[in-house]
Amino acid sequence: MKIVIAGAGEVGTHLAKLLSYEEQDIIVIDEDGDKLDVLDSSYNLMTVKGSPTSFYTLKDAHTGKADLFIAVTPSESTNLVSCSIAKSLGAQTTVARISHYGFMDPANKEAMTRMGVDRLIYPEYLAAREINTALQHSWVRNWFELHEGQIILVGVRIRENAPLAGMQLKEFATTTGHFHVSAIRRNHETIIPRGNDYMLAGDVLYITCTREHIDDLIKLCGKVQQRIKRVMIMGGSKIAIRLLDIVGDRYKFTIIDNNREVCASLPEKCPNAEIIHGDARDPEVLVDANIYDCDAFIALSPSSESNILTTLSAKEFGIKKSVAEVEDIQFIQQAEALGIGSVINKKLLASSTIFQLLLDTDSSTSKCLALTDAEVAELEVKPGAKITRAEVKNLHLDRSMTLAALIRNGQGRLVTGNTTFQTGDKVLIFCLAGSLHKVERLFT
Amino acid sequence: MLGNTIGGLLILEAVFMVIPLVTALIYEEKDWEAFGFTAAFTALSGILMRRIPVRSNRMGKREGFILTASVWIFFSLFGMIPFIISSTPVSASSAFFEAMSGFTTTGATSVTIPITELSHGIIIWQALMQWLGGMGIIIFTLAVVPALNNSGGMLMFNAEATGVIHDKIRPRISQTAMTLWGMYLILTLILISLLWIGPMDLFDSICHAFGTISTGGYSNKAQSVAEFGSNYVLGVICIFMFLSGINFALLYKTIFLQNWQRFRNDDVIKAYIGIIVVFSILFAVGQLIRTGYTSFTDIAFYSVFQVVSTLTSTGYLAPGFFMWEPFILALVFVMMFCGGCAGSTSGGAKIDRVIYLKRFIDNELHHCIHPNSVLYVRYNGKIVSPDIVRKTIAFLCIFMILVVSGGTALSFLGLPPVDSFFSSLSCLCNTGFGASITGYGDDFATMPDLAKWIMSFLMLIGRLEIYTVLLLFTPSFWK
Repeated sequence: MKIVIAGAGEVGTHLAKLLSYEEQDIIVIDEDGDKLDVLDSSYNLMTVKGSPTSFYTLKDAHTGKADLFIAVTPSESTNLVSCSIAKSLGAQTTVARISHYGFMDPANKEAMTRMGVDRLIYPEYLAAREINTALQHSWVRNWFELHEGQIILVGVRIRENAPLAGMQLKEFATTTGHFHVSAIRRNHETIIPRGNDYMLAGDVLYITCTREHIDDLIKLCGKVQQRIKRVMIMGGSKIAIRLLDIVGDRYKFTIIDNNREVCASLPEKCPNAEIIHGDARDPEVLVDANIYDCDAFIALSPSSESNILTTLSAKEFGIKKSVAEVEDIQFIQQAEALGIGSVINKKLLASSTIFQLLLDTDSSTSKCLALTDAEVAELEVKPGAKITRAEVKNLHLDRSMTLAALIRNGQGRLVTGNTTFQTGDKVLIFCLAGSLHKVERLFT
Repeated sequence: MLGNTIGGLLILEAVFMVIPLVTALIYEEKDWEAFGFTAAFTALSGILMRRIPVRSNRMGKREGFILTASVWIFFSLFGMIPFIISSTPVSASSAFFEAMSGFTTTGATSVTIPITELSHGIIIWQALMQWLGGMGIIIFTLAVVPALNNSGGMLMFNAEATGVIHDKIRPRISQTAMTLWGMYLILTLILISLLWIGPMDLFDSICHAFGTISTGGYSNKAQSVAEFGSNYVLGVICIFMFLSGINFALLYKTIFLQNWQRFRNDDVIKAYIGIIVVFSILFAVGQLIRTGYTSFTDIAFYSVFQVVSTLTSTGYLAPGFFMWEPFILALVFVMMFCGGCAGSTSGGAKIDRVIYLKRFIDNELHHCIHPNSVLYVRYNGKIVSPDIVRKTIAFLCIFMILVVSGGTALSFLGLPPVDSFFSSLSCLCNTGFGASITGYGDDFATMPDLAKWIMSFLMLIGRLEIYTVLLLFTPSFWK
């Protein structure tokens, strides 16, 4: 697939790297030659220097032949204009990164299409949605649901007290047939387990099950579903504003920010929250803001380090659920190892959305799960696909992927070795980074 | 990682050895045994190397450099075996010199055996080595082995490709490699057929086409291209030498994307053609002074042929250009140094770098009078980043240091000074003019063994454009 990415910022660079591992044809456009040099010299892709809103640059980058045009510069208007130009040059699908909700409003969909913008990425909105799920399901780290919750995939870290800890996968499968252990993350590595692997205390397990068995899973993992009422947020960022907008008045929010101007602008945007001006890194400020009464702490300041450390100190005040925004990808696994409940990363969320697009699924209905070294995707089985030819155990699947569950006729069920796929099935796939193109081949 | 990749490439080399094997069988020569043995041995070594357990699959810039340099050395080490065990055996030093000179498209020979006594197998192998090395072993591998279509392959591409900035023609490295090799193959096929139409038989046309497009300058005739006594042959070869001296990416864009505008306005092309015109006139004048007016062909046509052949580092000699005047010899020195365009198969320092140097010097001089003026090196109207200019200047300095060191080492071994420095430059630029030109002995065969190793090393440094090889000898690389 030919993909043109405009903007070699954080999201653009991350996408370009990931997609080049996925054996796609990538061309990256940016005005800053230095940023491009780094990409050009070490990754298998091509770069074009120039403005993303210039017809000449876009022509140089063969935008006319592109299957996908992704505009992810920091400027929203640049993104929209370059998508518009790309579309007029003949790009198949255009995607723009935006930073205002107005563009996403279904009422404006037609105007956007007329402008030549097919899809939108709004990382802050995705992050807010992710935090919302994390608050609703406080016992898990990741929550991914398919088809209105028919199939649920959770990522959960187990401790010694979990009945699951120390159990072999084979044994687990014979005692209860309602769960599918899709992946295990152990010591910074994600593995797709086989029958004779063990689940150990300290592992993050990615388990798939149907809706009716989710309560059993909470017990098996030794967790308790906490009810969250009061939430404290550090940093009045765009994500915070979006989160409050989505959640409404389900929770009581307190926002702490150390910038007075930001604080001054917040009461208008978040009328139901209490705004406190102060430095959340200071424990006294937290105590003054009544942290003892709070159930959840969400750190959304621009600095990943502050977010991780402040979340850790907030946990000492008896927080039940912690969420931290970690923009440096290399810190994510460290943060998870330190015991931070859920980690939010805008880049991963954005790239997950693009992956869904690549796999040609309707990203508006399915939710994506962003992990550092793996992807969870939902795919529909097309007529004549390779995957329909045999039972799962005879398909000789690559070790870098697992088929967890499927939805047939609106009913969710787990995939076993004897499952045979049919056209129209929706399949939940868990695959390690760099193997998405293999998955794609199976389904077409 | 290292063993695995090199092993894979050796298997590929073994496949190529089948060509001389088949040739020897067709001509019913005994040398098929030598090639059969070498091919089997190379393939076996490759398979064994692939068995070396892979410790890590990570490939950084350092691994890219090591791999590329070692691939070239391994190719030469295995490529030299047929020369040692053939029916016309030579010493190990000469064989290695021969192989390295082939792969780096230098085209110098140190074999004393008259070319008429060499078997067809050996001859086609010499030509084939040049052809493989011309566009590059790594680039060829990238084009045919999909497993290297990743960032590791990209790093190896960067370590092998010539030029200051490596143009990618298409997004993925294997596509770029395939396009470049496609161009290379098309040019070779056209040249083979054009030569075949003329006075050459198929075998000779293949050998000369391989020698021309790779700018190696291989000829299977004692008198080189002059043997055919045909101006048609010289003319056709001259045109294709000229084409091979142009950036292949630019050639592709011009021919297949119809981008003539870009071709006409390219600074390097202008300089390339300019240099050819000016030096041809100087050559013609030199020739006129030496021999007086004989005929138009002698003076004008042969001068142009000789200039193109020297500038593109091919190293074919036009008739009547055997003993050179000091003035013409000096011109040859300059042209060898210049080389062709970056991204072509030619050697030398590359015209691109010379242009950067000239503009940089212009700016520096201007600065002396107008210290406050803001000046940048511009190339095709775009500013070249000071980093790249710096790297280019450093490259040219190291280049000169290498020529001097190589020349000094050779004169230490007993060669006359002019010949030492001429041979040193000729090897580093991959031109391969024999020492006969300067009057020392007949060819490289008379050189001491140690000199052959020094020159082989210079050829490798020159072909991989200095940094890739020299980096391996810096302490900071291994820390």
